[in-house]
Amino acid sequence: MNAPDADAPLVERVKQGDVKAFEMLVVKYQRRIERLIGRMVRDVDLVPDIAQETFIRAYRALPQFRGESAFYTWLYRIAVNTAKKSLMELKRDPLVTEAARAGRDEDDDNPRVDNEPSDAATPDAVLASKQIASAVNFAVEALSEDLRQAITLREIEGLSYEEIAELMNCPIGTVRSRIFRAREAIAARLRPLLDTREGDRW
Amino acid sequence: MAIDGFDDSAKERLSALADGELDLAGSTASCAAWAADAQLRADWHAWHLIGDVLRSEDLASNPRHDRLFCAKVRARLQSEPVVLAPMPAIAGSAGRPFDTRGRSRRWTAAGAVAAGFVLVVGTFALVRPGDSPPAAQIARVDGPATPSDAAPTAEASAQPVAIVADNKVIRDAQLERYLEAHKQFAGSSALGVPSAFLRSATVDSAAR
Repeated sequence: MNAPDADAPLVERVKQGDVKAFEMLVVKYQRRIERLIGRMVRDVDLVPDIAQETFIRAYRALPQFRGESAFYTWLYRIAVNTAKKSLMELKRDPLVTEAARAGRDEDDDNPRVDNEPSDAATPDAVLASKQIASAVNFAVEALSEDLRQAITLREIEGLSYEEIAELMNCPIGTVRSRIFRAREAIAARLRPLLDTREGDRW
Repeated sequence: MAIDGFDDSAKERLSALADGELDLAGSTASCAAWAADAQLRADWHAWHLIGDVLRSEDLASNPRHDRLFCAKVRARLQSEPVVLAPMPAIAGSAGRPFDTRGRSRRWTAAGAVAAGFVLVVGTFALVRPGDSPPAAQIARVDGPATPSDAAPTAEASAQPVAIVADNKVIRDAQLERYLEAHKQFAGSSALGVPSAFLRSATVDSAAR
């Protein structure tokens, strides 16, 4: 496999009608897409909306995605186009956009979700982000050398299991297990920060 | 650590899927488990958050924001028509496009074999209502050919039945004689027609 797209199996599943597989991709890429849009759109309140619109458009267009680029590259382009379109609409008719935004709270089909403050830039949210970053770093430092090397080669260097197996001189199955155990160990440290309230589950 | 019935090996497979290291068939159980189990979804989120933070600390986001974001997208996806990309069927095979191409290659090869022997098969295939003039032409040209392949033999014996059943078929006498002659050969080819063409036929058909 030369430069394999790690998303290929999930993308294929979506194409066969598995909507949940698309949700898995949303969970995976939501942060990156929001950061990208946040760099283009100054109004932080608009960022989640444009990011949502990006994913919906991507979902609709997925049958046309031929895998000629990586899925994320394709998604990235959709995000840029969606953000540009929103900015143009905003310039053309700022009042309408403003009114649409104000009216959203009433006519959303999921009021419980929408009444939650979704702003990622509140002081609490910033603090939560910082806590998560330091918890991850702390947890990675605490890993055994084997686990730390495996997760680093995968997540930071982006190597395949096969390449990591070659570098670490161990079977692919061992790589898979080390990466999994590293994730579990780091996630265990994160859990107090990620823990969901009752009725607020993933 | 087994949670909600999903043991570590199931979670390890989901972790492999996160890295694109499960094939399409292997991903089926993992995706079903993900859809069914909130804890696995929380793990999935945590793992990707960890990856994002390792790559860039400014991707550390408020987990509650992530959850709300995904809940909204999920709600919107529910009102979307399900995506179904047009593709050759048979779920569960990652290499389908290649299979299709393989099949056409096989057909090409089979076609080459058939053309190489110039034959009866082609002639019979062309003999359909309204097609008799070109068929007759080919028949005249190909007079001396020897049917020698097992597959064409099967077709050769099947086709004339259909032709007889259709009373409207018009054939010229020459073609009739040609077909008659080669029907005899077709029946005996498996036992070995004393023909110089036979050897190459066997080799070509095996090399397919």
